[in-house]
Amino acid sequence: MNVLHAIAGLLLLLLLSACTGAQSAFDTGGVEAERVLGMFWIMVVGAAVIWIFVIGLSCYVTRVSPRAVDDRIGIRLIIWGGCVFPTLVLAGLLFWGLGMMPELRRPADGPTIAVSGERFWWRVAYDVEGGPGVVRNLPPGGVPSANEIWLPVGQRSTILLGSPDVIHSFWAPSLAGKMDAIPGRVNRLVMEPTRTGVYNGVCAEFCGEAHAQMGFRVVVVSEQEYAAYVRAQAAPAAVTQGPGVDLFLRNGCAACHSVRGTTADGQIGPDLTHVASRRTIGAGLLPTTPENIAAFIRSTDHVKPGVEMPSFGMLPEAEVTAIAQWLGSLE
Amino acid sequence: MSETTRQGASDRDQEDEAVRRAQEERLRKVWAAPKGWRYWSAVNNTEVGVWYTALSFAFMLFAGVLALIMRAQLAVPENNLVTPDFYNQAFTLHGTAMMFLFAVPIFEAVAIILLPQLLGARDLPFPRLSAFGFWCFLIGGVFVCGSIFFGAAPTGGWFMYPPLTTEERFTPGYGADIWLLGLSFIEVASIAAAIELIVGTLKCRPPGMRLNLMPLYAWYVLVVAGMILFAFPPLIAGDILFELERLFDWPFFDPTRGGDPVLWQHLFWIFGHPEVYIVFLPAIALLAMIIPTFAQRPILGYSWIVLAAVGTGFISFGLWVHHMYTTGLPAISLGFFSAASEAVAIPTGVQIFVFLATLMTGRVIYSVPMLFVSGFLAIFVIGGLTGVMVAIAPFDWQAHDTYFVVAHLHYVLIGGMLFPVVAGVFYYWPMISGRKLSDRLGRLAFWLMFVGFNVAFFPMHFSGLAGMPRRVWTYPEALGLELPNLVSTIGAFVFAAGILTIVYDVLRPRGSEPYAKRNPWNAGTLEWLAEMPGENWGVRSVPVITSRYPIWQQPNFIDDVDKGRFYLPDAEEMKRETIVSSVLDGEPEQCLRVPGPSFMPMISAFLTGAVFILATFHYWYATIAFMALATVSIMIWLWRGTAIIPEKPEKDVGRGLKLPLYTSGPISVGWWAMFITMTGDVTAFIGLIFGYYYFFTIHEDFPPPSGAGPGVVWPMVSLGLFLAAWGAAWLALERNRARRIGAARVLMGAGAGAALSAAAVLLWGPFATGLDPASHVYPATVWVLAIWTAAHGAVGALMLLYCLARSLAGRFTSDHDIDIANVTLYWHFMAGTALVTVATLALFPLAA
Amino acid sequence: MRLFGLYGRTQDTLWTLIAAPAIWGVHFLFSYFYAAYRCAPNADIFASIGGTRIVVGIATVAALVLIGLVFRRAWVEWQAKGGTVRHDRDTAEDREHFLEFSTVLLAALSFVAVAFDVMPVLLIGDCR
Repeated sequence: MNVLHAIAGLLLLLLLSACTGAQSAFDTGGVEAERVLGMFWIMVVGAAVIWIFVIGLSCYVTRVSPRAVDDRIGIRLIIWGGCVFPTLVLAGLLFWGLGMMPELRRPADGPTIAVSGERFWWRVAYDVEGGPGVVRNLPPGGVPSANEIWLPVGQRSTILLGSPDVIHSFWAPSLAGKMDAIPGRVNRLVMEPTRTGVYNGVCAEFCGEAHAQMGFRVVVVSEQEYAAYVRAQAAPAAVTQGPGVDLFLRNGCAACHSVRGTTADGQIGPDLTHVASRRTIGAGLLPTTPENIAAFIRSTDHVKPGVEMPSFGMLPEAEVTAIAQWLGSLE
Repeated sequence: MSETTRQGASDRDQEDEAVRRAQEERLRKVWAAPKGWRYWSAVNNTEVGVWYTALSFAFMLFAGVLALIMRAQLAVPENNLVTPDFYNQAFTLHGTAMMFLFAVPIFEAVAIILLPQLLGARDLPFPRLSAFGFWCFLIGGVFVCGSIFFGAAPTGGWFMYPPLTTEERFTPGYGADIWLLGLSFIEVASIAAAIELIVGTLKCRPPGMRLNLMPLYAWYVLVVAGMILFAFPPLIAGDILFELERLFDWPFFDPTRGGDPVLWQHLFWIFGHPEVYIVFLPAIALLAMIIPTFAQRPILGYSWIVLAAVGTGFISFGLWVHHMYTTGLPAISLGFFSAASEAVAIPTGVQIFVFLATLMTGRVIYSVPMLFVSGFLAIFVIGGLTGVMVAIAPFDWQAHDTYFVVAHLHYVLIGGMLFPVVAGVFYYWPMISGRKLSDRLGRLAFWLMFVGFNVAFFPMHFSGLAGMPRRVWTYPEALGLELPNLVSTIGAFVFAAGILTIVYDVLRPRGSEPYAKRNPWNAGTLEWLAEMPGENWGVRSVPVITSRYPIWQQPNFIDDVDKGRFYLPDAEEMKRETIVSSVLDGEPEQCLRVPGPSFMPMISAFLTGAVFILATFHYWYATIAFMALATVSIMIWLWRGTAIIPEKPEKDVGRGLKLPLYTSGPISVGWWAMFITMTGDVTAFIGLIFGYYYFFTIHEDFPPPSGAGPGVVWPMVSLGLFLAAWGAAWLALERNRARRIGAARVLMGAGAGAALSAAAVLLWGPFATGLDPASHVYPATVWVLAIWTAAHGAVGALMLLYCLARSLAGRFTSDHDIDIANVTLYWHFMAGTALVTVATLALFPLAA
Repeated sequence: MRLFGLYGRTQDTLWTLIAAPAIWGVHFLFSYFYAAYRCAPNADIFASIGGTRIVVGIATVAALVLIGLVFRRAWVEWQAKGGTVRHDRDTAEDREHFLEFSTVLLAALSFVAVAFDVMPVLLIGDCR
């Protein structure tokens, strides 16, 4: 039984290491994640008891005491152990699990945020109108942003999920379970954060080459801070003049990116109006600094293989730096 | 001609050694595998089964190497050992090969070897079909796996979700086409094997083997083959829609033109979940043979195992949406599947407890196979318990598409399938090669595999919930994922060392090592009649069965078999023969002549394979040419090899029993094969019809209210012609039996004409109304249903013409009418298909 | 009607064996498709779908009654011949016994599975 000891030790070690992450279902900050984690631990304890009984019995009858017992005892074991006990336990578990679903999906009272999974980043629009309904595409409008979703603490916010290209799945493990973003459909996920902080999220449905690097952040703040944040995001860019702006426009960046307040109004890539206010660039990939922005522009495919944005390694160093400096100032 | 051919087997003196020697000589000659290069024309189950098994294991090792590359890449965060593109090819092929090229084929392969032995039959009823299946498997498997060496392997995951995989802009190249066409080809082979195994189990049991005496393995084979028959066709339907979208831009899964990517998920998982049990049950079946042997008692709870196998077979078809819990379906829909997913755990638990109860009430002898049985229990029970967890939708919303599920599925599949299969390898190796595998190496392999497996996969439960999604080629530092991943990688290599130990043990040269003694484990079931080393003929004489464990329970059993005191102790006419019996009670009904070696299955498989491969690369003219060649080769195979009129109506098979050599209708194996084939065919058709009504429920304007459909008149005319062809086929059967051969021939010709016209008219409908399949999902769906039915009509016409030619050539007569009997059965199904198609296409839009 | 043993004795076959799980299958697909069809418009996900739940409930009762009849027939015939659980003799009676007893077990499993299927309808009242 040394093996079992080793496994138990390993288990403990892993648990400790697993609990430190910012994107862990063990490190909860939302109602759904908390309730599911509680359920998980109860199921684990039950499973461990059942496993020990079954394996203990099998060791006993094969190794410890391989003598034959009466057939009637065997049949009784099949009836009680194989039929009656599992039926009751499974019925109970099913009742609990089914009851949880409508509860977790009950109507929301917070803001409605549209999130579109796109290869390989997340388009965000705050305070959109409308619900899932019969629509097949996300409602237009709202305050645009990307790869970072702010939520008010203590409120049930609705995340509407869609996609223009392939299927993605929106997953912030510390807050709630995942929900797919499917082309031609609008899905609804309710998040109810219980404590403020920054949480990691990822794409959980394989969506192509850069699937592994399609992350996002969820920032949970107070209701007032949330309102202020959305107001700030709605405003035009802080800096709309200068060499960085000119180079940005001249090199064709505006074909894909918008910077409100300038003539850049591309809709293909992330809105960069307040890019520097966001914690990361490249969909959760690198901390937002002018250096990282420059590195990203120069060699996107090296930093994030498979990304749709082409590398601009052919631009002179100074031009890249100027663009990165300007973008880095767009708080 | 000596006396032997004039007298029947009943008149032989089996106690005379010289008589027996001569019989053995003849049997050996008749059943011998061809020599030299002709060896590859062998069709006997003892050859084909072994090739099939070896090839499945080869694909497993290939997929295992891909897994090790992936684990090496994930050993440390932000690793650059392989590119993301290669990683995506690797995980796609790993899953694909393990499921389609190992887990399902290994069941078919092992069943092809074991089933005839277990049933005391000399071979399965359609050995050439088994050989055809094997060659298809070889070609398809090599085609799919080989693509990675050209960097052209599919990258969309083994589940191939559209739109990622259907649109060139997301997945350029041939990868997805290779996956679809290569695997469609293998799916056809799987269905062929399923037909063979169902007919084998139901109709080729030895005299006296009633349903209540069938070995449990045969019960599992029956259930699993039945599941294949209903699970694979929906995937084939899905493949058809998918390939039409990829090749011709028909928008089944494109939401901008009315399609829906979720439809593919339904069709894929209607296949994909039963698939898990298709993989798991045959492995459990091996345990149901191994455990009684080592408990040295009959299984306790035979009926309970049958309950579990049949119950699992059914309920496993109600689980598919539990792979789709996060697609945003209404909670009430998820609820039904959650309920069925919990219910299926009950029969699975019953099986485990039957095994425990059998061990408890027996005197257990412990050995290497039992070691793997213990490993199975320890690992599989964990997999089952985590399965119960992920069946609860809210928990699955967290666990889905994370390493938690990777851990769960490997606990289920490696614990529930690989460990029992390895137990089976150790248990059955003497039957295959005549020698036991090494005990010492077996124990070493077990501990390496058991420890390696748990070290590799147990941590994944935690890395998954700690935020590691599946199918990522790398992961960032500082999330706490480094340690569990490193541990997993180490475990994976330890596990691989265990597998290599077994490979070494199997392949190491044995030199002059002595053969094992006969029935080395002291088992009670028929397969252990095999001599060490085995004879190609299977059993010396086909025994009369009066118990579940004949070797234990029937006195003097082995000697009676060996001395030829049972049926078919001889091959007087130098023909391969086996006994066909009734479904319920195993009463002998026919002495079936089974075909011998032939290159036709191989040639047909290569030509059919060429069709799929050429279509992959869009060589359309060559594709059509090879389609014609493949059809011709199959026709030649059938013409020369099936429904052969015997030289005499009946034959003395021994013990005073005379059996007919030719039967038709529900007694014959051919009729059953047609019936089962068409059941699978109709299932695929229902998959397409499901697509039509699926779009109807999700679209307001499907079918369009303007009446822009295929019209009513042409489809109704087509239906009339189809029904006329059906009537002609039916009447031809009846007239032929009434010895009105001229009338029957006219009817067959007229029926073929009606069928061809019906097919043409059915296609004319949507053509005349100008439906453009690339414009919207509605015309695309109409076209696919019309083409399906028209193609079946054309095949039906070909069959009638084939019968006409056979009749003219004197190869079928009033007394020997299996050809038209089977074709009429085809037409019964065809008429139903035409009726449903026309009702859906022409009448439903009027009502909707 | 002979299938359910309302009168006379029946010969068990593979078809009678799978009658109960087949009823489960029909009930399952009906429940799922009916609810999915009701919720497909996806218009107001919080509107009650009471009518659908009642229909599924009626279907459930019907399925349970049918499975109960299958169970009763097999049980009665099995008990009439002694109700033993060993059927490994080479007689037509033992084959019949075996099929009856297996039918009893499968009917019990199907009954539980249908009962599980009704739980979502009891606990979930709309299309959310």
